[in-house]
Amino acid sequence: MPLRQFTLTRREILENCLALGSVAIVSSTPATAMLGAMQERETEHRRPTPPNEIGPFYKKRSPETAMLRSPGDPGMPLAVSGQVFNTRADKLSNAVVEVWQTDHLGHYDLDGYRYRAKLPVDNSGGYKFDSVMPGHYPDRVCQHVHYLVTAPGHRPLVTQLYFSTDPVFEGDPDRNFGRDPLIHNRELVRPVMLSGDPNAIQALVRFELVLELL
Amino acid sequence: MSWLRLVFALLLMNASLLAATSAKPERTMTVPPGADVQFAAISPKGDFIAGACKDGQVRVWTLAGGELRQAFNLQDQLVSSLAFANDGTLLAVGGNRGAVKIWAIPSGTLKHDIKVGGNVNALTLSPNKSLLAVAKQEHPAQLWDLDVGRMLTELPAKFSGSLALAFSPDGQLLASADADTSIRIYEASTGAIRATVNDLLLETFAITFSADSKNLYAGGADKTISVIDASSGKVVSSFPKQSLVVGDLQRSPDGKFLVALYFDEKSFRNPAPALVWDIAGQSIQTNFSESGVTPNGSGFSKNGHVLITNSSGPQLQIWSLR
Repeated sequence: MPLRQFTLTRREILENCLALGSVAIVSSTPATAMLGAMQERETEHRRPTPPNEIGPFYKKRSPETAMLRSPGDPGMPLAVSGQVFNTRADKLSNAVVEVWQTDHLGHYDLDGYRYRAKLPVDNSGGYKFDSVMPGHYPDRVCQHVHYLVTAPGHRPLVTQLYFSTDPVFEGDPDRNFGRDPLIHNRELVRPVMLSGDPNAIQALVRFELVLELL
Repeated sequence: MSWLRLVFALLLMNASLLAATSAKPERTMTVPPGADVQFAAISPKGDFIAGACKDGQVRVWTLAGGELRQAFNLQDQLVSSLAFANDGTLLAVGGNRGAVKIWAIPSGTLKHDIKVGGNVNALTLSPNKSLLAVAKQEHPAQLWDLDVGRMLTELPAKFSGSLALAFSPDGQLLASADADTSIRIYEASTGAIRATVNDLLLETFAITFSADSKNLYAGGADKTISVIDASSGKVVSSFPKQSLVVGDLQRSPDGKFLVALYFDEKSFRNPAPALVWDIAGQSIQTNFSESGVTPNGSGFSKNGHVLITNSSGPQLQIWSLR
């Protein structure tokens, strides 16, 4: 039964557990503080980001930069940001985030490192990069950005980011995300926010990354 | 189905759109309508050819007479990989949800029925047929002892899975081309790591050992064929770079030639040639690019001719390059 169907709050349930002996506290810290900490840890739990196939065109030793787009590059400007956590909700400032994608026409650069980068991660696990909206190509249904995320003590995450504005979804990714047989999880299709004026429009996307502990 | 096999399946779709070639294949096998062969494997001694068909069947024909000898399936799974034993007496078939079955050829007796989990990208049998290596998508490759029917060990990459596997002809080594772009060379009998090839920046899709087991040839997204010293793991030379990605490699039994199948990374459906490389000179001996023919398999005949396969509707065509 989902928790929200109980009439008592989580805090009240914990207090009842303490009163009835279902939970015992072995600490000099006051019970109220311990229950508060327990509740906080429970709510901080994060589900791991669903993995997705690595695909055929990963290239190692990408340059360290947050700017994948060059001046004058055609295509819709795209800015992606997010934070890297683990499933305990710890912010992973020591994570390494690699991304790679096609250009706006759907072509990967195999000879160089266009639209490939190793991203800086800040002290709160935050990352961001500027690029262009990747193109469609004949052998993949949806636009996507590939991710490889690693951090000491955590299982490497290989996944892909998709966009709710992709024409393939016809405005309804909930119903149509399965049109790309490689999208196994709706969660990987992220909302897109448009900013700027019509002459300088930009697509903004937020994509949090949650790694599993080893 | 692995993405590499998807490439060949897409090539097949493209082939049906192109004009018929003016030249003629040496032999043609026919499958039922709608059961087009998506990719094919030729037994190393040139006795048999196996085709993974759209209807889920793996059909096995004799190469000499074109007689259909067996038809197998993995029940509810798509066939994602095929591999003959070196002597052609076993055929290993991998599925897209982890089934691996090994049949005796030509009797059709089921010899092994294994569950490895995940999508099988590639598999290979050791020269003495006692070991099986299985490459999986997004998961570590596995090494199996077929004599006792158990997994010996996993062969993990840093992340994701493996794309191609090869045992050395002397049976001592096993190489795994991994999605993290490294190639790992193991002691075949134990799975203990012997060398790691870290020089390649892009993923490798095809590997095969030299006839003397000393070198490994590797081709992939870097559009070249690298020659790797199998004992040190160092890349010692590279064949001239081409404009297309290497998708498959087969070495001739005499050790003199490599047959490379290519694909275009801009669209897997674009036509791509097969090249026969002279190994010693690292030069192209034959460029097979018949109009309307998109290769989906290669091998060698009993008399040493290079064989190229392609599908044209319900026909599996076999071309012989003399």
